[in-house]
Amino acid sequence: MGRYLPYLAFGLLALGLACIGLFADRFVLYLTMRVMLLSIFALGYNILLGRTGLLSFGHAAFYAAGSYGMALFYLHINPDPLMGILAGVVLAVLVALVIGFFCVRHTEIYFAMLTLAFGMMVFSLIWNLRDITGGDDGLVGIGRNPFLGFSIAKDSRFYFVVMFFFMLTVWVIHRIRSSAFGLVLAGIRENHQRASFAGISIKRYRLAAFVISGAFAGLAGSLGAMLERNTDPFSAHWTHSAEPVLVSLIGGLQTFSGPIVGSVVFVVLREIIERFTQNWMLWFGLILLVIIMGFRGGAMGSAERYLVRYGTKFREEGSS
Amino acid sequence: MISSLLKVENLSKAFGRVVTADRLNFEIHAGQITSIIGPNGAGKSTLINILSGTLPADAGRIFLQGREITGLPTHRRVQLGLCRSFQVVNVFPELTVFENIQIPVLGIVRKAHHVFRALHGETGVADRVMEVLEELNLDERAQSPATELSHGDQRLLEIGIALAVKPKLLFLDEPTAGMNPVERVETLETIRRLSATGRTTFVIVEHDMDIVFSLSDRVLVLHRGDIICDGTPETVKNDKQTRECYLGEEVME
Repeated sequence: MGRYLPYLAFGLLALGLACIGLFADRFVLYLTMRVMLLSIFALGYNILLGRTGLLSFGHAAFYAAGSYGMALFYLHINPDPLMGILAGVVLAVLVALVIGFFCVRHTEIYFAMLTLAFGMMVFSLIWNLRDITGGDDGLVGIGRNPFLGFSIAKDSRFYFVVMFFFMLTVWVIHRIRSSAFGLVLAGIRENHQRASFAGISIKRYRLAAFVISGAFAGLAGSLGAMLERNTDPFSAHWTHSAEPVLVSLIGGLQTFSGPIVGSVVFVVLREIIERFTQNWMLWFGLILLVIIMGFRGGAMGSAERYLVRYGTKFREEGSS
Repeated sequence: MISSLLKVENLSKAFGRVVTADRLNFEIHAGQITSIIGPNGAGKSTLINILSGTLPADAGRIFLQGREITGLPTHRRVQLGLCRSFQVVNVFPELTVFENIQIPVLGIVRKAHHVFRALHGETGVADRVMEVLEELNLDERAQSPATELSHGDQRLLEIGIALAVKPKLLFLDEPTAGMNPVERVETLETIRRLSATGRTTFVIVEHDMDIVFSLSDRVLVLHRGDIICDGTPETVKNDKQTRECYLGEEVME
């Protein structure tokens, strides 16, 4: 029974998302796409933060690398959407390899500050290289050509492309977490000194986790550029790097579904609060405070603990 | 014939003016339990750190089974068969006992980089993990998180992590520190039993003289970065210089 649970959850998720895609109105559709994009970003990011224990403040750079990689490929080389997405991911991977190479030599605050510094460099490059990146205007006019012969010009069609990549991400991240590689990353998080005495090259594994998370940031970025039909230089800004951190914290760092739940909470809350007040950040900050102080381990972490406690109590009552 | 497992040539290390290893030359022989003793600050821990790759040496060369390992990073030395345990509990706290052993097994069979293959399908790895746990009588606790073990069991688990990489040479840094007398006797028995199988050669750094003299075949006495005595426990017990600078009253009484 327990072994089939992931498949069941995966199926239900796909079914729910397909229903939204078929029946929901444009606004809900758009919001769900934003949730899925943020989830892709955060699921990849959590391989680095939740699994490997490295806090990066520079992942917006890889998101932007995905966006601009996709846009530049579309505008200058080939307008095929699948190849464009691939180009975005490849660019993000390359940028992550270079930045990661320098960052994984350090940990904790030094790692965080280095990623922040590199992230700011990428932002200022995008901001200043106006001829290539469009500067503060970003790149505009990204069309959506048919995806494998399937028209995606309408948002209601493009939704299924986003959904496909979201489900792909969920599957891949799940595989990574239950693999030998995933366990070794957890070992490095728990005790990196001991891990190297287990015959593990820590730097190489940290770099691998860094690049994997960068690749998913790039995937989210290239899909984001297609969704908005333009690129936004502020997607490279460090404030955007904070989003996957917050989302992981809200949902729960040590859980698989945490980043997804966190993304739903983040996007929907923001949408609701923005209707009532201009200062959504103030109210969002307060809610975040409650979640972090009240639900340690995030929403999913708390739910898990509650279930375990309830389960033991239930069993004890059953046996007595 | 006694074969040389580890060979150290002219090894030197100094921190500023403090010399912790002064042109050390020695060999470790396979199958012998060797102890390294010396007063605090004699350079015992530094020596282990240099040999296992955590600290670089200032000068000198290290050979493992005739192969030079002087410049190799820690994980390469581990893969070649040199491992260590630590003075303080040093396990993967939030992982289960099983996973604690699984990581080094994966590291040594070179499967740690498998990104997509499901871990529960690696039955060969699982068998090897259970083998190690059974050797240490920890098999019943396999699914508990490491933090839930008693202090003594955590130390045992740590030796297990080191043994899981099938080291030819294993440094144990004060293996019984913080244990109660019962756990201590059990641990010593375990070390003796494992040593007798001949798969792993143990080098022990210890303060407790009872342990050193009852367990070792050979004792090295380190003082201010220099080996001042090298021989059987009997030789060392009767060595004048050693008694002066280290053993003191404990043996003379």
